Amino acid sequence: MQEFLQQVISGVASGGIFASLALALVLIYNAMGLVNFAQGEMAMMATFIAFTLITRGVSYWIAFPVTLAIAFAGGIAIQRIVIRPVERAPLLTLVIITLGLATLLNGLAGAIFGYVPRSFPSPFSVQTVDILGAFFSFRDLGVITVSAAVLLLIYLLLQRTTVGLTMRAAAHHAEASRLLGVRVSWMLALGWGLASAVGAVSGIMVAPIILLEPNMMQTIIIYAFAAAVLGGIESPLGAVIGGLIVGVTVNLAGAYLPFVGGDLQLAVALAIIIGVLVLKPNGLLGRPTVRRV
Amino acid sequence: MRRLRTLPPRYWLVLVVVLFFIGLPTVIDSFLSGEWAQALVLAIAIMGLNILIGYSGQLSLGHGAFMALGAYTSAILAHRYKMDYLLTIPIAGLLTGVIGFLFGVPALRLSALYLALATFALAVVTPSLIKRPAELTGGVQGIVLLPPDPPQFAKDAFAAVTGTPMTTDQWTYYVTLAWALVLFWLAWNLVRHRAGRAMRALRDGEVAASASGVNIAGYKTLAFGISALYAGIAGSLFGLGSGFVSPDTFPVALSIQLLVGTVVGGLASIPGPLLGGIFAYFLPIESNQWIPTQTWIPAQIVSTVGKAGPAVTYGAVLILVMIFAPNGVVGLVTAGYTRLRRRLRGVPDRETGQMPPDHQTA
Amino acid sequence: MALLELEEVRAGYGPTSVLHGVSLAVPEGQIVSLLGANGAGKTTTLRSITGGVRWTGDIRFDGRSLRRMHTEDVVRLGIAHVPEGRGILTELTVDENLKLGSHLRRDGPAVRKDYDRVFEYFPVLRERRRLSASTLSGGEQQMLALARAFLMKPRLMLLDEPSLGLAPMIVRAIFEIIRTINGADRVAILLVEQNARLALDVSSEAYVLEVGRVAVRGASDELQGNESVRRSYLGY
Repeated sequence: MQEFLQQVISGVASGGIFASLALALVLIYNAMGLVNFAQGEMAMMATFIAFTLITRGVSYWIAFPVTLAIAFAGGIAIQRIVIRPVERAPLLTLVIITLGLATLLNGLAGAIFGYVPRSFPSPFSVQTVDILGAFFSFRDLGVITVSAAVLLLIYLLLQRTTVGLTMRAAAHHAEASRLLGVRVSWMLALGWGLASAVGAVSGIMVAPIILLEPNMMQTIIIYAFAAAVLGGIESPLGAVIGGLIVGVTVNLAGAYLPFVGGDLQLAVALAIIIGVLVLKPNGLLGRPTVRRV
Repeated sequence: MRRLRTLPPRYWLVLVVVLFFIGLPTVIDSFLSGEWAQALVLAIAIMGLNILIGYSGQLSLGHGAFMALGAYTSAILAHRYKMDYLLTIPIAGLLTGVIGFLFGVPALRLSALYLALATFALAVVTPSLIKRPAELTGGVQGIVLLPPDPPQFAKDAFAAVTGTPMTTDQWTYYVTLAWALVLFWLAWNLVRHRAGRAMRALRDGEVAASASGVNIAGYKTLAFGISALYAGIAGSLFGLGSGFVSPDTFPVALSIQLLVGTVVGGLASIPGPLLGGIFAYFLPIESNQWIPTQTWIPAQIVSTVGKAGPAVTYGAVLILVMIFAPNGVVGLVTAGYTRLRRRLRGVPDRETGQMPPDHQTA
Repeated sequence: MALLELEEVRAGYGPTSVLHGVSLAVPEGQIVSLLGANGAGKTTTLRSITGGVRWTGDIRFDGRSLRRMHTEDVVRLGIAHVPEGRGILTELTVDENLKLGSHLRRDGPAVRKDYDRVFEYFPVLRERRRLSASTLSGGEQQMLALARAFLMKPRLMLLDEPSLGLAPMIVRAIFEIIRTINGADRVAILLVEQNARLALDVSSEAYVLEVGRVAVRGASDELQGNESVRRSYLGY
């Protein structure tokens, strides 16, 4: 029983990481109907930036928010420079552009930082704490806390502030929002900035676990896709719930299903994606959307 | 005789290109022939992907997985069951095609975006899926194939022309070229006739197409199957050329490479994939040779820049092409050519089979 | 100089031209009706003003040309446009919709007073504050749209067919409030209506559009009194 709990908590920690990246995907999907295939690579870049700051002597808890701010600015920049010129292009064009962006960022990271995996510092020690007979690592608990805090902040921002309101309005009803004086184009840019910052959290949380290198987010993004699809690609809450479910499921499958083991955990994510898309494409919390002709 | 003279210039161009490719190994060294063979391999896979994306409007980011399937099918049949490699090629293609067709069935239920997502996930998972049944696939080490010896008649024929007997690489090249010619011809016919028109109608607007009686489900799954068949044959030929298949030869970067080639060459065109394949294959190689010669790049990062360079270029190319030239090189050339003709003749040009990008809003 | 002036405005959608030279003016604090049959170009006229459609000619608000301005910037000058279909953000709650009306304003106490008045005019909105706007009936949505426009504290309101699809009693209530807003707060209104009689009752001036041009214009009471105009242009 103890071991089961340990695996669950570990899964919740992974889930927090997946949920953050999934939330980033949902934010952009809500704004543009687009899945940003570059979200993982953007997070990876931000993590490298954090790494650079930390190795230059900046303390972790200062580097963290500074990185988020840089990621925020970076997201806005990408939207203004790469996405806005082709706002009206067909969806597939935009998808291919995000793929190009992902490839470009991956290459840039490789060129600037090299491909040698590095260890990334974590403020949480790997020591375990004994709770009710089960051992939980500080790191898992730390990841859960930070992820929860970030997700809560995003929730408050979107639901309780005027800026959040205008962002949501611009995302769902662009034309009607313009008639209310909302600067829709800038709301879109803000959405990208916010998504980039949230994704960066995911990268910084996962780097101590899987080692920092340019390809590190390629598997995480798959888990995030699974989480977003499971929760319903338009639902921020769904991203969180989906993330938790995917995290726990993948962890338990890896631990208890012998044929899954460590390397086929990713295949579990793939199975989730395909299963959801075929059986219930709108996910747990999504709404059926009208098909635009 | 009159018909020959009235053939549009396009046909002559095709003839010239075919002759060029047939004669190529006679003037370049054997190793380079092997490289061109690999470029043709990519071109074949890209041709298949083009049918899927450009003509039936379904975006697959996982065709590297189909190439892997074709490559491993051939490798296993040749290595474990001692089948003649050439025989395995159509088998691998057919098997992959059938699986692709079956894939196409659930794919119908997915919107374009979800299909892209699911196939991308497939591409990322493919290496680990290959590693698992290690008994069959050789696991992490992969399968090594014996390079085929060219048959005597080929050696003699080549010696008659160039003075040296045909090498393995050159034989591989000709096998690949033969398949490429057949498959390109097939694709061209497909596109010209009813299936092609139906698929193009699909791409431009499914609701309208369905209203005009096109069997959407049928054509979409057919497109999936055909594109998978092409990728399977390409994978099989890839194994022939490289002599080796392993999980690491089919990473997600391969699927991106195919996409780049498709986009650069030009969606919904026949010559496009050929240009795309050549571009996608030779770019990393040329840049790897070029980068060390650039003295302004510090020595210690030459290898990382070499490794990263193609990625940066692919990424930039994808972005720039989709922004500025969504119809790829062929589109630019065709548009330029069309404009030139219009100015010279003052009459509208016949439809060239080139589809303009849709202007629906996202 | 009138608050809003349109001068020889031509507009259309792609190759189709809808307005062929429309000129009109809305004086400060007045209600002006824009009438005409379906397809005459009434909605297109409103859309031109707020930049929803490309136009040539000139449109001036408070003397300042609106050429090349983005919709949101035109609106920020002080024009509230309640479009055809009301533009309710159905993904949000009633309260959030209202909030979007007032979100640009900086005068806190005045905003609160305006909220009070809004709930006085439309009590049902207070009841349904926390509910999704999609749960409102047609009439209630029209009220929400009007309330939201009022909260923007505009100098000019563009109303596109406020009576469309609503029961007569509700229509009467809404038009009462339109009259009140205009009277108490001196908000100018350009009112597009199919129901000519209602529009002429509440407005001081009217323009009748026919196939993209102004066919008739004049003081509302004169037009109402003129039987031949009523018969040929207004349908009653």
